[in-house]
Amino acid sequence: MISPAKKSKGQIVVDWLTTTDHKKIGYLYLITSFVYFMIAGVMALLIRAQLAMPGLTIVQTKEQYNQLFTMHGTIMLLMFATPLFAGFANVLMPVQIGAPDVAFPRLNAMAYWFYFFGSFIAVAGFFTPQGAASFGWFAYAPLSSTTFSPGLGGDLWVFGLALSGFGTILGGVNFITTIITMRAPGMTMFRMPIFTWNTLVTSILVIMAFPPFAAALFALGADRKFGAHIFDPANGGPMLWQHLFWFFGHPEVYILALPFFGIVSEIFPVFSRKPVFGYRTLIYATIAIAALSMTVWAHHMYVTGSVLLPFFALTTMLIAVPTGVKIFNWIGTMWRGSITFETPMLWSLGFLTTFIFGGLTGVILSSPVLDFHLSDSYFVVAHFHYVVFGTVVFAMFAGFYFWWPKFTGKMLNERLGKIHFWLLFFGFHITFLIQHWLGVAGMPRRYYTYLEGDGFTWMNQVSSVGAILLGLSMIPFLWNVWITSRKGVKVEMNDPWGYGRSLEWATASPFPRHNFTSIPRIRSESPAFDLNHPEFASPEAKALSTERKK
Amino acid sequence: MKTNVKLLNVLTAFFALSAAVYGYWTYLVYSEIEVIGFAALAMLIFLTGFISFYLSRAAKNFTGPEDKLDANIEDGEAEMGFYAPWSWWPLMLGIGSAISFTSLAVGWWMFAIGLPFSILALIGFVFEHSRGQHAH
Repeated sequence: MISPAKKSKGQIVVDWLTTTDHKKIGYLYLITSFVYFMIAGVMALLIRAQLAMPGLTIVQTKEQYNQLFTMHGTIMLLMFATPLFAGFANVLMPVQIGAPDVAFPRLNAMAYWFYFFGSFIAVAGFFTPQGAASFGWFAYAPLSSTTFSPGLGGDLWVFGLALSGFGTILGGVNFITTIITMRAPGMTMFRMPIFTWNTLVTSILVIMAFPPFAAALFALGADRKFGAHIFDPANGGPMLWQHLFWFFGHPEVYILALPFFGIVSEIFPVFSRKPVFGYRTLIYATIAIAALSMTVWAHHMYVTGSVLLPFFALTTMLIAVPTGVKIFNWIGTMWRGSITFETPMLWSLGFLTTFIFGGLTGVILSSPVLDFHLSDSYFVVAHFHYVVFGTVVFAMFAGFYFWWPKFTGKMLNERLGKIHFWLLFFGFHITFLIQHWLGVAGMPRRYYTYLEGDGFTWMNQVSSVGAILLGLSMIPFLWNVWITSRKGVKVEMNDPWGYGRSLEWATASPFPRHNFTSIPRIRSESPAFDLNHPEFASPEAKALSTERKK
Repeated sequence: MKTNVKLLNVLTAFFALSAAVYGYWTYLVYSEIEVIGFAALAMLIFLTGFISFYLSRAAKNFTGPEDKLDANIEDGEAEMGFYAPWSWWPLMLGIGSAISFTSLAVGWWMFAIGLPFSILALIGFVFEHSRGQHAH
């Protein structure tokens, strides 16, 4: 730990297996989730290949096709995006509040291992004779019963996700405790960076949403393995499952979104050379989104015909308001700033444009009369890919390019980063924009194939070509990571971007073991900026540092 | 602390309001309360209310330097507490739980391996740095 002496390979492995360092655990989360991102990405490419022409059989059976889209959804949401939040939060949140580690380092490690093994168990269904779960990622009853979906794959899915879910809950508890108890002196709640605020609110959402999910999974497991009849249609089981699942499932969408809103909220001010516009309104908007997101679950269930439509339409439309406030604030941050377009900023702008599309179609879908026509069509597929890919993937890469010098001590190559961005940006929009029209034309989601005469062919072809571009866009990124690790120049500065605001820019790159050798005085929400540019520090910070009240 | 308590109180109040509105509205429409959503919302009241209650008790006579606007870094505690530099037990507990959870899907024979393993790992986890009577 103290000496930088070279370690043997075995020592390095043991080091990572037994680590309790929040940064290493964070990197484990980031690496594992990125591996799952690529696995599920390959599944998506198979799905797009299958749909490229009518009547293809690239995926040999319909059952295999069902497994592909089920596991694509499951992996992307629960094994990629959710742990990606845990990864970024683990690495950055303690540094941003000036803490040496998280509150429960060993619990933190345990949460990671729960996620690691739980995800592996759920995916291991692919190695069983009948294959992985094939009932869709939301496992509607009674389709998910053993009558309609027999096989070990489904059981592994249920219990693997339950284990992984416990990991997520424990991680959330750890984050909340850390933020409440381990802030550095002077780091009041309303001086915390937006990313840390969003981590707090997301963790609260985690402990509200994941326990019902774990309970529902155990109940489903009891039905499948032990002959219980909890989700039996005879007792109204399908509605019970849908309520429980979406009571988890909708907040889950915001668990994915909020931390990534936090990431771009860190990036816009740095590359606009302006403090974030409306710091407090951003936080209040986050809290409002979190609160409202617990009351909108049944908008996924409009077509069941047995949910209270006006209530859920109202709350769903309401949630667009705080989301709009956030977009307003990000634009306000850039307004009349000295904007430069380094890769993190480019990705954040990509996020903003993509997410606005997804938000707008969300408002369309929140209206029951429109949803009745569009539900379970490709319009919905397009909508949630714009929302989730727009936030998670764009903001993830924004965060990678932004914090890579902090993670590794080396800057990623800007030129490759820009190639990566434009390939992915066009790849994404070509793939998914057309799917709105595909949905309007009537193509239902999750269908194995379609007919020549349906008129879906050319739109599907556009989408599949886009998917190829999207897949190719990963090559410059992986190449970038490789070339940077081999030939990248060491960053010697604390703040290579020059205008970093929060505390991670006031410590070495990469971080020292316990994050800081010294912490600057905290007088505003931008302590690193106040330290490096004292002449531009906020008036409040200046006043507080010259005359110290009692 | 006060900000945290306020935040959780706002959430509690919001969930109370939502549960009341949702319960009443479903009662008006279906002439019975839609019990699943109502119960879920009602339980959130207790969740956030409970944490806020605990924090407000804990914060009663306490304002740490992290909540003072003009605190300096040296105002904090010099000793941050004990931190395990590394530990095998989280991984062991992960493996034990993984075997136990898989046993639910695969068969009880695996549980016979997973449960003792998990119990051992749990004991290891809890007592790893315990010095019993001779506490640090």
